[in-house]
Amino acid sequence: MFKKPSLTFSLILIVGFLTVCPVLMLLFGSFSEGLTSFGSFTLDKYIEGYTDPILREVLLNTIIFTVGSALVATTLALFLAYVNTRTNLPFKFLFSIISIIPMMIPHILFSVSWVLLLNPSNGILNRFLMQMFGLDGAFFNIYTLPGMILVEGLLDLPIAYLIIAPAMRAFDVTLEESSKVCGASVLRTLFRVTLPVLRPAILAAAILVVVRSLASFAVPSVVGMPGRIYVLSTYIYRSISSGFAADFGKAAAIGMSALVASIALIYVYRYLTSERGKFVTVSSRGFKPTLLDLKQYKFPVFLIVGLLCFVLIVLPVLVLFYTSMLPYSMVPSARAFAMMSWNNWIDVLKDPISLLSIRNSLTLGVVGATLGVVLSIFVSYVIVKVRSKASGILESLSFLSFSFPGIVIGVGFMWFFVQTPLYGTIWALLIGYIATYLPYGVRPISSAFVQIHDHLEESSRICGASTFYTMRRIVIPLLVPGIVSGWILMATMFVRELSLSVVLSRPGSEVLAVQILHFAEDGLWGKLSALGIMMIFLSSTLVVAATLIGKKLTRMEVVDT
Amino acid sequence: MKKLSILLLGLFLVPSVFAADLVKAKSEGQVNFYANITAIQPIVEEYSSSQGIKGIYTRISTSKYLATILTEHAAGKLQADVLQAPLPVMKILKDKGVLVAYKSPSATGYPDWAQQDDTIVQFGIEYVAMIYNKEMVKPEDVPTRYEDLTDPKWFDKIVMPDPSLHATTITWLVGLKENKIFPSDEAWLKFVKGLAANRPMFVKSFGPTPAPVESGEKHLAISMPKYIITKAPAPLDWARVDTLLGSPRGIAISAKAPHPNAARHFMDYWLTRDAMKMLADKVGEYVLAPGVFPPIDGISDVKVLPIRELSDEEIHSWGNEFKKIFYGK
Repeated sequence: MFKKPSLTFSLILIVGFLTVCPVLMLLFGSFSEGLTSFGSFTLDKYIEGYTDPILREVLLNTIIFTVGSALVATTLALFLAYVNTRTNLPFKFLFSIISIIPMMIPHILFSVSWVLLLNPSNGILNRFLMQMFGLDGAFFNIYTLPGMILVEGLLDLPIAYLIIAPAMRAFDVTLEESSKVCGASVLRTLFRVTLPVLRPAILAAAILVVVRSLASFAVPSVVGMPGRIYVLSTYIYRSISSGFAADFGKAAAIGMSALVASIALIYVYRYLTSERGKFVTVSSRGFKPTLLDLKQYKFPVFLIVGLLCFVLIVLPVLVLFYTSMLPYSMVPSARAFAMMSWNNWIDVLKDPISLLSIRNSLTLGVVGATLGVVLSIFVSYVIVKVRSKASGILESLSFLSFSFPGIVIGVGFMWFFVQTPLYGTIWALLIGYIATYLPYGVRPISSAFVQIHDHLEESSRICGASTFYTMRRIVIPLLVPGIVSGWILMATMFVRELSLSVVLSRPGSEVLAVQILHFAEDGLWGKLSALGIMMIFLSSTLVVAATLIGKKLTRMEVVDT
Repeated sequence: MKKLSILLLGLFLVPSVFAADLVKAKSEGQVNFYANITAIQPIVEEYSSSQGIKGIYTRISTSKYLATILTEHAAGKLQADVLQAPLPVMKILKDKGVLVAYKSPSATGYPDWAQQDDTIVQFGIEYVAMIYNKEMVKPEDVPTRYEDLTDPKWFDKIVMPDPSLHATTITWLVGLKENKIFPSDEAWLKFVKGLAANRPMFVKSFGPTPAPVESGEKHLAISMPKYIITKAPAPLDWARVDTLLGSPRGIAISAKAPHPNAARHFMDYWLTRDAMKMLADKVGEYVLAPGVFPPIDGISDVKVLPIRELSDEEIHSWGNEFKKIFYGK
């Protein structure tokens, strides 16, 4: 469609510049003596980092944590995406929004909510279960590896959902119908037709969740550390925190293993989805996604989905709201309810820095996601349609900054931006966000691209359409679900981004997550929760707006069977 | 009469403690203050409104403080005029040439040890104490000595920063030994092992310690009494012991301050009794301005000592020792 080698080369230059520079600075730092990125050459940081006897246990915990989180997130996302996109379940729109709510909550807040619900001493859910069943001890203990996996899996659910749902929505139901006509049962059709065809989206989702949970810090620190369970990110934190002079070069040295693991995963993904013809569901043969009538199962399925959404997502948000109304942390009681007030909300709304941070985050969310999605469309095109060695390099580059543990990559960007005039400005945040979270745009759009047959573009070209006309009239409309998913993932991420913001934000460029972190460091959980809920409201508005615009733009015709 | 005397003394002293030239400082327009201390926005705002020089507060967490300052300094882009951090961090900055000598007249009356350095003035102590939930702990069970924490009744009821990695907690534990809070080193070690045997819950710093105590998840925290002020009306109190220990907090001027006159003026202001009183009243900080105490019952009577600052090598070494004791590894 485009002049492919020059497009690929240009994108490698742009994406490479955005993502390689901070990683390169970290690489220099990991081989340098001292605390900055440039110093005398040394291997000591690698030797110290990788010869610690505790590392083996940490790596085992990390594997269980990341794979477990990916399983939880992907399985839940598959189920929710299926019922939300392929069935006539009532209130689907509401469930679609609920499925991505964890994306909008600062991870530290979501983790704290789960601690309030499931801590073994006085967790609200534990106390409820103990009273209900007359138990002596707590039923659940959140401070365990399964507890960490549950919370991280839920936090990463939206990533998996927003990648799988568009693919599910674009699924050609005639494939399933053919299977059934040949006598296959519903389950056999699911496992032999539906899931294999959706393999790129499922793998993309699982890999993205593995990479994200590898870099995650909130859950391992809030849930894991009290249980004395360490994974790679908290191990890195340990290595830089025992002392006042935090050595981010050493942290980068350890973080390199996460980078290598992520790049290996990308190549595994490319290998597993190499025969892309298998996964095309939107071709020039006529395409009509249909809805499955749940008939007598409508109500039971509605109950299951409703209960899942309530317990796993709505309840922690309600705990946040409850906390935002209290003067300090209290378990629910008559006294607690009597002490409720809007004071925390009023304080936040009167705080000029909080208001400025809302405005800055909203701007960064909308502008950053829009620019990020435009770049992602071109990158995805090259990754999926060109599929050369160079496109493999481009795909790896797009993951480079994303793969680093959050507590390290921010410093990489600081080391990079301080060499430029952008340091300390909101532009540094904008560029850093897009560079780091490019996979949030690339993955869903790539998954949507995979399903579009080349014949569509070729037909358009044969009819005399130009490249951009074909893109605008044929490709983009079919990509709309993927584009909307990518935009939502990026916008909600940018609204709550912390890792980069905490080192790049300066007076005048304050953002929501940093203000929330300051409330957390001061132990002001009421204000923190109030601002967190405002953040959820802000992100929800963006999500609803994007979804409605996406629905208007899409030309797909969905009919009930 | 005593209050009137202090007021008169204050009125007499305040105009004279500013060595910096206000006119020159005002002509520079603003002052950038990089700090890790929390919740000081009201003081910076008060400075801006009362002195006519815009105070800009950049808050940087301790873990990223040195990395940020040294990176900006090396690149020639350090915007800070005045810097504040724990004393060991300030000493590293001084060694790296980030700071410049300045003797503020506002520090007159501070303890000698707090102003013996020609560059860094120590203005407060990050004091550590046992804080507890008044509704969960009976008055007779409240610890009166550090050793009381080793009583098995506290099993699974304590929260504290991880003693194998949190620098201030490591320094505090070592400080208990070095300041002879216990009759012998053996008694100190018995205390540390007894505390570990009660399996405290670890969090990453002091910030998250009060929440589990407020909610009743845990009953007692090794934390900071300032939370009694900032978390009011939470049912928190501190266990009265003879001596509290903490790391000193320092303040100094940047060697390449973009607004050098405003920097000196701000530091003079920061060290005044009025500014320190605001810090004590609003944030609950333990400050070194004479006669100023946070409004926490009993704090003015307790002995609060600064701990010897440990080098990073010592912190790593002690952190490993505490890891063996608390983690059994």
